[in-house]
Amino acid sequence: MDVITLKDVDKIWGNFQALNHVNFQCKEGQLLALLGPSGCGKSTTLRLIAGLETPTSGTIEIKGKDVTFLPPAKRNISMVFQNYALFPHLTVKENILFGLKARKVPVTERRKRLANAVDLLGLSTLLDRKPAHLSGGQRQRVALGRAIVAQSSICLMDEPLSNLDAKLRQEMRQEIRSLQQRLDMTMIYVTHDQVEAMTMADEIILIKDGNIEQHGTAEDLYNRPETIFAAKFIGSPPMNILSPDANLMKAFSSMLPDGITPESHRIGVRPEDIQISENRGINVEIETIEYLGADTMIGCRFGEQRITMTVKGKNRLHIGDHITLDWKPDHIHLFDAQSGRRLKNI
Amino acid sequence: MKSQFRHRYWNHINGWLLVLPAVFMISMFTHYPIITTLYHSFFSTGTAAHPAKFIGLENYSYLLKDEIFWKVLSNNFLYSVCTVPISIAIALGMALLVNRNIKGLSLIRMSFFSPTILPMIAVANIWLFFYTPGYGLFDQILRAFGGNSHNWLGNLHTALFCLIVMAIWKQSGFFMIFYLAALQQISPELKEAGVAEGAGSWYYFRRVTFPLLMPTTLFVAINAVIESFILVDHLVVMTKGGPNNATSLLLYYIYETAFSFWDSSYAATLTVVLVLILAVITVIQFTTMEKQIHYQ
Amino acid sequence: MRSWDNGTQKTLETIGAWMLGILWLIPIVFSFWSAFHPAKFTTNFDLFAPLTIENFIRALSCAPFPRYLMNTFILVTLILAAQFVLCTLAAYGFVRFDFFGKDILFALVLLQLMIMPETLLVENYRIIKSLGLLDTITGIGIPYMASAFGIFLLRQSFKTIPKELVEAAQIEGVSSLGILWKVYVPLSKPIYIAYGLVSVSYHWNEFLWPLVITSSVNTRPLTVGLAIFAAPETGVDWSVIMAATVMTTAPLLVAFILFQRQFVQSFMHLGIK
Repeated sequence: MDVITLKDVDKIWGNFQALNHVNFQCKEGQLLALLGPSGCGKSTTLRLIAGLETPTSGTIEIKGKDVTFLPPAKRNISMVFQNYALFPHLTVKENILFGLKARKVPVTERRKRLANAVDLLGLSTLLDRKPAHLSGGQRQRVALGRAIVAQSSICLMDEPLSNLDAKLRQEMRQEIRSLQQRLDMTMIYVTHDQVEAMTMADEIILIKDGNIEQHGTAEDLYNRPETIFAAKFIGSPPMNILSPDANLMKAFSSMLPDGITPESHRIGVRPEDIQISENRGINVEIETIEYLGADTMIGCRFGEQRITMTVKGKNRLHIGDHITLDWKPDHIHLFDAQSGRRLKNI
Repeated sequence: MKSQFRHRYWNHINGWLLVLPAVFMISMFTHYPIITTLYHSFFSTGTAAHPAKFIGLENYSYLLKDEIFWKVLSNNFLYSVCTVPISIAIALGMALLVNRNIKGLSLIRMSFFSPTILPMIAVANIWLFFYTPGYGLFDQILRAFGGNSHNWLGNLHTALFCLIVMAIWKQSGFFMIFYLAALQQISPELKEAGVAEGAGSWYYFRRVTFPLLMPTTLFVAINAVIESFILVDHLVVMTKGGPNNATSLLLYYIYETAFSFWDSSYAATLTVVLVLILAVITVIQFTTMEKQIHYQ
Repeated sequence: MRSWDNGTQKTLETIGAWMLGILWLIPIVFSFWSAFHPAKFTTNFDLFAPLTIENFIRALSCAPFPRYLMNTFILVTLILAAQFVLCTLAAYGFVRFDFFGKDILFALVLLQLMIMPETLLVENYRIIKSLGLLDTITGIGIPYMASAFGIFLLRQSFKTIPKELVEAAQIEGVSSLGILWKVYVPLSKPIYIAYGLVSVSYHWNEFLWPLVITSSVNTRPLTVGLAIFAAPETGVDWSVIMAATVMTTAPLLVAFILFQRQFVQSFMHLGIK
């Protein structure tokens, strides 16, 4: 069942169009990631769903009801902010119970929900502390606690992990995902980190400049990116986008359809799909070698273009070596150079 | 759609409702009286028998010929010119003295600031005694050294200056606080740089500290000038404006005219002058503040 | 001047500060001294005069100072309470809502910073009279209940509250006024305290306006009571007047000594603003 629906939503600030004809649905119990670079409109979309802003045009529906102009308090949602938005003058316990007291939930029910949240998040030793005396990760958990006790089926998250260090982020990612599944929450999760989106989300909406670039599962976005932007955004290191110049065409014309030109086409191939070959392929010179432990990233050059590849483990290559790179035909992504859109031929 | 309408005007309705009570009160006791003051200055003082009638600029032409008014105005300017710079200088000196780690710092600071806490009327009583001829404190001290007794407050030439001294005593501590706050904002690194350059204390003060304190000085000066026009409590118990209007200040003259002579229309006229003076001072304040912002 | 030894200079400054400090206290110290010693020693200073409280007894028997004290207390409390409510609401309106005419209204409010109600005492007297509030404590307080200074300060403070906190509260279902009461006000506590101290000191010490409005013992605050009591016509001894003065100033002085830190901090805080 569709729990959240956006229809033709526009948001304009003065002269700036923040969102342009945004349409999507979110199903019940799903974790939907809104992914994109800074300023693309993902947070704006979230705030529209929350009711903190109103759209310039279009409608927003929650559980079939038109909530476009409804104030946030009436939408029965919970939200976790990027900077946690904990009240500095209240203790952890008071912060978590803040909304329940405001909604006049009876005391016994409050205690029950608090105990439940404290249990799930491991907050029992922190209840009497004030936010100033908590670490980033602890504050994050308190913000989550506040969202959980609201027991609204919809939870909105605005880049909740961006202020944490890498290790903590990984832990919290797993925790949030498992929490979402356990409590069967519909969650809309805004992030600029594609790793978060890929590992946590059931579906991802990639947004660029106020428009939806692509809406699909992590696999869809990885295997079949609809645009050059999507291709480069997902995957680390990003996909190589190459212009089909003479060198490239000499090596791979058999894999490509006719009529490929450097002016109107681009070839995409992921670094992890490239192998070093003995015979067939394109000749390149190695410019950089970065050893990461499990993989090594090798930056190469041919003609005017650069191409990055990854190999497993360590190897005996050096900067300046000349090698040959090859890849399989179904690892080639073909794009239109002008529009950036994927072409259906491979 | 109803909720859409509500939403659109939400901001306006809420805003106005919240702000209205305070704005209404302020209007009633500030804006409205300013207008009616101006209005009444064009009418004569009404009584039950003879209602007020329109007299145009008659009050103003009377004002221009009124010797007492000019005396009062010049008194006020003299009063301001004397109290303001001296209070500020003393306040600055106090702040500099107190802004360091000397023994008994907080006691000294408390001592300087204590006159601020007292009502002017209490201060006036105390100093009234000091200035009492014959057995007042000052005369007691003078006579102990073989001097004569003086009629400090009764003498045309000394009366106003006696009040000025008292006012300086009362105000300086208050202004010291502002200088203290400003001094603490000056980065100690500047002082270190100055010392490294071989600058002496006085030189450093003149070239670095004092210019940096200029915004505070301006702020304090404006406040002091305004204060010198509106604080006249001491006149009521000490001199009642005398002898012969030698110590009368504008607001006191207004008070006298309205509540001793019961000439409310002339009082209104005088009030217009006072409001204009305050307005000019405020304009000066804003324009100098603007320049400060641009300068920095 | 560079030849001055740093240590010498510091010592001189310290001595200078001490001397000035002591000098500055003389009027207050003298008034206390006079109040606690028999009348004749005020005019003939004698360091070893005996202590007495007869001046206070005399003062209390001549004028109802306790009543005056209560009047003053009621006055400042009334004004402060009204200011808290009115200024909080107005500052909240100015900060949180964007409404038609907002800037003009705010400019009008700021006007009161320049022209205080006391300046307009002739007209305000007329207004109070027409409201039937002459010789009432409310009449004294009412022009001050909406304080432009208070609105200005609270607005500055409210503006520092991060928008996220407000949004979180909104999502949690708190009403607009609820957000004011539960978020803005608690987080502005220091400002309320600072402003409270300033307001109380100011209105405790006010004289000319209450003089104009009050005419009976029931409403007269301490300042007016003191002035009437000390008027030369009453023919009272100086030491008794000093006792009355001490009674008038003692409450605030005591509060000042106890809360010296807060007082100085408050005024400093406000100065920076």
